[in-house]
Amino acid sequence: MKEFLRHILESKLNEDVSRRCFIQGAAGLATLTVLGAPAVAEEKKLGGPLNFLGWDGEHGGNVAKEFLAKNNIQMQASFQSAADEALTRFNTGGRGSMDILTPNKDFQRAILESKTELFQPLDMARIPSAQGLFPAFKDAPWLTRDGKTYGIPMIWGDEPCVYNPAKWDAMPEKYTDFADPKYKGELVLLDDPFGNIWLFAKSLGMKEPNRLTAAELEQVVEAMLTVKPNVVTIGASHGDMADVMVRGDASLGIGGWAYQTLIAKDKGVKLVVGSPAKDGTFFWSDAYALAVDAPNADNAYAFIDFITQPESNAALAKELGSGCTVEKAFDLIDASVRDIYPYDNVRQPGGGILGTQIVVPPQNPEGDIVGSAAWVEAWQKYKVA
Amino acid sequence: MTATTGTARRWGEAGVVARPLLPASLFYVVFFAVPMLALFVLSFWRANGFVLIPDLTFDNYEKIATSSLYRVLIIRTITVGFITAAIVVPLAFAVSYVMRFVFETRGQVILQLILLSLFSGYLVRIYAWRTILGKQGLLNSTLQWLGLIDRPLEFLIYSNFAIVITLTGLLLPLAVLPIYSAMSNISRDYLEAARDLGAPAHTLIRTILVPMALPGLRTAFAFAFLLAAGDFVTPTLVGGTQSLLIGNVIADQFRGIGSNWPLGAALAFVTIAIVLALYFLVMRLIRWVTTW
Repeated sequence: MKEFLRHILESKLNEDVSRRCFIQGAAGLATLTVLGAPAVAEEKKLGGPLNFLGWDGEHGGNVAKEFLAKNNIQMQASFQSAADEALTRFNTGGRGSMDILTPNKDFQRAILESKTELFQPLDMARIPSAQGLFPAFKDAPWLTRDGKTYGIPMIWGDEPCVYNPAKWDAMPEKYTDFADPKYKGELVLLDDPFGNIWLFAKSLGMKEPNRLTAAELEQVVEAMLTVKPNVVTIGASHGDMADVMVRGDASLGIGGWAYQTLIAKDKGVKLVVGSPAKDGTFFWSDAYALAVDAPNADNAYAFIDFITQPESNAALAKELGSGCTVEKAFDLIDASVRDIYPYDNVRQPGGGILGTQIVVPPQNPEGDIVGSAAWVEAWQKYKVA
Repeated sequence: MTATTGTARRWGEAGVVARPLLPASLFYVVFFAVPMLALFVLSFWRANGFVLIPDLTFDNYEKIATSSLYRVLIIRTITVGFITAAIVVPLAFAVSYVMRFVFETRGQVILQLILLSLFSGYLVRIYAWRTILGKQGLLNSTLQWLGLIDRPLEFLIYSNFAIVITLTGLLLPLAVLPIYSAMSNISRDYLEAARDLGAPAHTLIRTILVPMALPGLRTAFAFAFLLAAGDFVTPTLVGGTQSLLIGNVIADQFRGIGSNWPLGAALAFVTIAIVLALYFLVMRLIRWVTTW
């Protein structure tokens, strides 16, 4: 009961976290516990606490239940509501009490590039299951620095447009085309400064949509404002966006999540995925990482290795409605979940489009290039306008 | 008896009286005063990317004072708070009057029903309002079915109207409780005596009901105005693209890449200061009106 209450409280406290809300809901529905999978790490060293701070659901509460019990590991999970929360906690007394973190790719890249102390390099010999990752996730640039690996991806996906096919046959070619008055009262956006600004910067043909000058940022916001009269509301999360579309208050979500189609299907509403042909969309991936000075590294390695096995990875991907990162997991996932993601992207080495695409701006200004705070402020101005 | 022993006894008596307050006081000091103090100190710091830098700078306050963005948001927030309070308090006053003087003892049943509405979760109630006000919601469907409208009234949802209506629904039960409680102490005899002397209804309200229920009205106004002005979940869920309030921007400064905790802390304190100043101003105004 205590665990259940904590589960509910955590989910409420993290309500604003886009796809993580679904993850929590899905966790209740999908009880895919992988039974009897062996622990690869030395069992004699296992047992005791394992401190997790990451996105809701990625602690594998259902998937790893049996594994944790068998190895006498007590998962102490807490969930972040923002990508940089792990760093904040690390720098405010959390160092030495954090084991597993689950950064998204752009945050992990920013941390590694800035040489900010947070993640420790992984001993890949202790994660043999990682050999089975898709090529895109084996040597991805956002996971490595100086030849060392700092993260093992567990799920991935993209943020396409999600729309009601009863209202729309197809998406326009560009995001700026959504300014057409025919979309009036039909659009819903996600409350995500980086995703939205990036998409429109790309639509305007800016070469590096995540590296904008102040003038370019203003130009992007102006382009977004031409679309604003057609926007019904800005969803607090991907779950909220789906709810708006399921209720019929809007028929087209920009920067959505493919899993929204499954949620809508459960409620008897048909939604499909599609993105502007010229502009495309962006991709995300979350990985397991080990915090510097992790006190329970043995448990953490065993957990990561377990959850990177095909059965576990498939179960987790299904539970979280996301793409799997392990090649052999692909065949273990229902077509209904599997077919909503473009797996061709992750079959390429080097990270494919996930490796080259950076959505998040630099943390701090770099010469003429504005930093992330300017993007947040620009997004707020857009919302107020 | 010496002066010293008298003072000691008075302190002893004060200690006995204060002792029951100790747990609550301790709770507020640890979980309210200390975090607020920490937040206040933080408002003078700086943020540099992922790093918070201890400092004693007024840059955050200067930014707030000079930014039209925050000015617009604070004005919009206060307006929403006032409009909500201006609807909630009279409604709660009317409900309380009916419960106290029309239904009398049966008013307790209505009170229980009102309390029952508080049993559902805050988010659940907001989503319920979405169901009522949505394009295909209960209200639009009913109006269309009655033939009163041809197409859904879009202003009902994702608008400032929706925020005020939803907040009114959420805060009305909280406002009824203190007003009803204050009215319970008003004797029916006063009203009857005034009526016998020929006082019209508005005089009864102005000279008897409002002054005697003033403590309840004050609390009701505080609930309605302060909670409405501080809310950021309701605008997020039922507000549209023009409904961002200052609470949303403060929340944004504490989460995600690009967040700025010191700026968020400064924004919070500026908002608190303005809202409290207005609250006390309104309290003075009410007192002046009722004694005039």
